[in-house]
Amino acid sequence: MTNKPVKLPEAGQWPDKVAPWALLAGIVLSTLGFLMAFLYAGPVNGAAVDGVELIGGQMVANKLLLSQKIFYFHMPVALVSFCALAFACYYSVRFLATKNQRFDTCAKVCMEISLVFVICTMITGDLWERFEWGVWWTWEPRLTTYLILMLIVIAYFVLRNAIDEPERCGVYAAVIAIIAMVDVPICFMITRLIPSSVHPVVLREGGMSGDMGMTVAVCLAGLLLVGFALYRFRFRQVRLQERLQALKDEVEVLEERR
Amino acid sequence: MNPVLADIYSTVIPSMPFIIAAYALMWAVLLIYVFVSISGLKKTEKQIAVLEEAVAELKAE
Repeated sequence: MTNKPVKLPEAGQWPDKVAPWALLAGIVLSTLGFLMAFLYAGPVNGAAVDGVELIGGQMVANKLLLSQKIFYFHMPVALVSFCALAFACYYSVRFLATKNQRFDTCAKVCMEISLVFVICTMITGDLWERFEWGVWWTWEPRLTTYLILMLIVIAYFVLRNAIDEPERCGVYAAVIAIIAMVDVPICFMITRLIPSSVHPVVLREGGMSGDMGMTVAVCLAGLLLVGFALYRFRFRQVRLQERLQALKDEVEVLEERR
Repeated sequence: MNPVLADIYSTVIPSMPFIIAAYALMWAVLLIYVFVSISGLKKTEKQIAVLEEAVAELKAE
């Protein structure tokens, strides 16, 4: 038996020191975004009413849609889920190129973060849809492509749990992560490719006003920071678990030698 | 209430449960994930500290 020391998976790089501060900043910004959504961003007009009223110094002739306030977090969580998937794809490609287990761990954690934000997108979107469209689900192009995306992300974890051999599991999972990424631009562009889609397209419909854009930007910045912090917490935990396993192996070897 | 104003605000109250539920559930999902991640991290760190001590003792023998 050789005396070669066991190489332990590292954990605790500089981003781990930044992560708690990123989480704090993310919480502050998303709380600020929440307040801006209700107190700063103006209400969106719905259907016209029979008459005009002066409200807050403005003539209003339409129904005020409070349900639109869901949008200020719905779009940012969807964008964060896309962002996490892009990183998962990047790490998967790196894993396929190098077979370095660290990249597989990075991709797995990115997919987890993506799943969390996909669930948030589905919850916010579904509740908005239930109120505005009167149904819990409709086979509309954006919703359908996003559902497919969610199923691919779930399939990624089902596959990971089904294969025991780490390298083979990593390779198959990496392919699934790349396939999920292929669905991202399709999902993003589908409302532009199929104009009959009932899902709102903000940029096609004249863009957002300054107050709306600012609110979305603050929410997006906050949620990106929260996403980054969650990634680092989870990544550190997974790497420490791998380190724990390596230490257990080392203890076994040392006990055998006694 | 003025009927025009009533019409303008007609969707505000009915939409409230959906808005509250959307924000509450979204934050619940994020908080659960934060809680699970941090508690798992702390548990693993404790286990590592115990094992590292054991490895050091075994190496010293």
